Amino acid sequence: MRVPVWHYDGQSGVRQTRELIVAAQGFFLEGGGAETGPFAFSDLVPHGAIGGYPQYGLRKAPGWRIGFTEDVPAELAELLPSKKGYGRLIDKVGLWPAVGVFVALSAVALWLLVTTPPMLVRMIPESVEKKWGAAMIGDFGGRACIAGTGSAALAKMAQRLGAKDMDIRVVDIPIVNAVTLPGGHILLFKGLLDEAESADEVAGVLAHEMGHVRNRDVLESLVRQLGLSMVLAGADGNIGGYTNALLSAGYSRATEGRADAFALKLLQDSSVPAAPTAAFFRRLSKVEVSLGEAGTLLGYISSHPLSSDRMKLFEQGAKPGATTSLDASEWTALRGICSQRDEATERGFQF
Amino acid sequence: MDEQGSGARAFEFHGSWREFAPIAFTNLLLTIVTLGIYSFWARTRERQYLWGQTRFIDDRLEWTGTGAELLIGYIIALVVFGIPLGVLNFVVQAMAMQGHDGAAALLLITIYLLVFFLFGVAVFRALRYRLSRTYWHGIRGGSDAQGFSYGVTHLWKTFVGSLAAGLLVPWAMTGLWNQRWNAMSFGPHEFTSNADWRPIIGRYLLYYLVPILLVVGGVVVAMMIGPQSRYASPLEVQQALILAAVIGYFIFFILLGLIALFFYAAYFREVVGNLSLADLDFRFEARTWDWFKLMIGNFLLVVLTLGIGFIFVGYRNWAFFIRHMNAFGALDLDSFTQSTTRKPGQGEGLLDAFDVGAV
Repeated sequence: MRVPVWHYDGQSGVRQTRELIVAAQGFFLEGGGAETGPFAFSDLVPHGAIGGYPQYGLRKAPGWRIGFTEDVPAELAELLPSKKGYGRLIDKVGLWPAVGVFVALSAVALWLLVTTPPMLVRMIPESVEKKWGAAMIGDFGGRACIAGTGSAALAKMAQRLGAKDMDIRVVDIPIVNAVTLPGGHILLFKGLLDEAESADEVAGVLAHEMGHVRNRDVLESLVRQLGLSMVLAGADGNIGGYTNALLSAGYSRATEGRADAFALKLLQDSSVPAAPTAAFFRRLSKVEVSLGEAGTLLGYISSHPLSSDRMKLFEQGAKPGATTSLDASEWTALRGICSQRDEATERGFQF
Repeated sequence: MDEQGSGARAFEFHGSWREFAPIAFTNLLLTIVTLGIYSFWARTRERQYLWGQTRFIDDRLEWTGTGAELLIGYIIALVVFGIPLGVLNFVVQAMAMQGHDGAAALLLITIYLLVFFLFGVAVFRALRYRLSRTYWHGIRGGSDAQGFSYGVTHLWKTFVGSLAAGLLVPWAMTGLWNQRWNAMSFGPHEFTSNADWRPIIGRYLLYYLVPILLVVGGVVVAMMIGPQSRYASPLEVQQALILAAVIGYFIFFILLGLIALFFYAAYFREVVGNLSLADLDFRFEARTWDWFKLMIGNFLLVVLTLGIGFIFVGYRNWAFFIRHMNAFGALDLDSFTQSTTRKPGQGEGLLDAFDVGAV
């Protein structure tokens, strides 16, 4: 069988006229006083059709093309590879089965993301975590607050809440926030002390951060974020970003909820009033609104989303018979903890 | 291979959105169920269709890139650049917290310079990759350069361009375009690009000066109206101020957007219009109004479909681009032989790593 085709050989840009000759071992191209081949039909790569006439490339021969100039005879059409669709793997199994498999695989991948970070975190020894935390905080560039009476008040509050194996410090940075770093390091920023109206408000925030330490949330979220960004790396822009943000937001809500529950129980167990914590959140939410976006970005509420459920939890969880965590003079001392800063250790590294 | 005889344009787009829709929707579906990994194959399918529906002179273009090479390029970029940059970022934070502010700042500046350099390399390599996977008459394009010297130029021209309060930006843009395209070739021929910043500086100055004029104008108007509002109640004054602020805000951004388009249309005509390949001279014929219609169309397409329409944006952009491309002159096919440039092994991963969307 001989069928006319046009042909590019991948070396010259001149379009040649050839005849495709079907042979036992595949096909030859004849014309222009030469014959090339044999070529295997299985090496042909479909490249779409123009005007209904299909064209093909040849595997491992870039630029090589043939295209038909008339209807392809039925016997020849059977030998030609079928139209390329979604990618080799998907074409083999079909679109819908492939979608099914992908959904299942994605579900497994996401499930692993949910379950493995806590497991992985449990495999990291606490001593290693402590080292990481210590490396991260260093000496705060001389901004750690160390006034004697204030430190004593802070220690008393921590002891009242039953803090063990934790490093709780106040840092002289004017933002209303508190963070927990790996290795049981809790940092209360000076702005938080300024904004709080009573020691018990600070105690509520501290109890919440202690919840993060106890649950090893920080390390877990670090590991999870790493995993998420690796798995979703391929996603082009939006889809990956949205999935990542959705999943992360879901987790942070869950961990914040757990830390809140822990904090409330801790306050109850140590007979510290819980209502001031709720009042503190309420007041902060008003401050944030008046400060606008810039304030929210820096503030406690941006990292600890405020919900009415959360305030209710602390309001309703208040138990009678609770006594304040620090007396008036201790509270004053705590607020003045930054009157002395840890500047002695400041290193001469500045440029 | 002379085009003039037929009266047709050198470039023509034969696609239809009806044909493209099944590709776009299955791409979206597969991208979602694979948590985004399919997006590399999706992009390949989209380009196969768009290139295949594009006629240049007497034959269609062909896209021969594969999804796998895009994925590999992305992974390489992530491992070689993404992870080290992430670690460095962490180191900077730790250093800042430990009080080594100076060292942290120095490191941060180094990272920024590195990112600017790499961004330039990424832009260069993405263009090289696309040309090397684009076939016409069985012949492809490419470049022998690696893009590192382009990265250096990108770094310092971006920096110098922002000097003089951004007045040198058009000079930097055209210079970079020239350097990029002068390093590219198709088949046996090198591209030559001679874009000049002078023809477009006027429109740039307009873009540059309008915000200043608007602010000055706003102050003048306020001063003229101000004394008259002496007898208005405080509430009325407040309402008038809010209204003025809202209107001013919209005028500012809509006007600025339009002028930016006005500049960009001229820029694109200038850079494409001074690009040639052997005896072929390219031309881009879209006016500001055409760009405006494209942008508004894309905007409405995405908004009115609650975002789903974004899968057609690449199609619309390509169709726009091809419809306004033109070329004059002739190409001698007897001497049009295969490119001898080295074919890059993987896709535009570095550019992907910077999260720059492309067709």
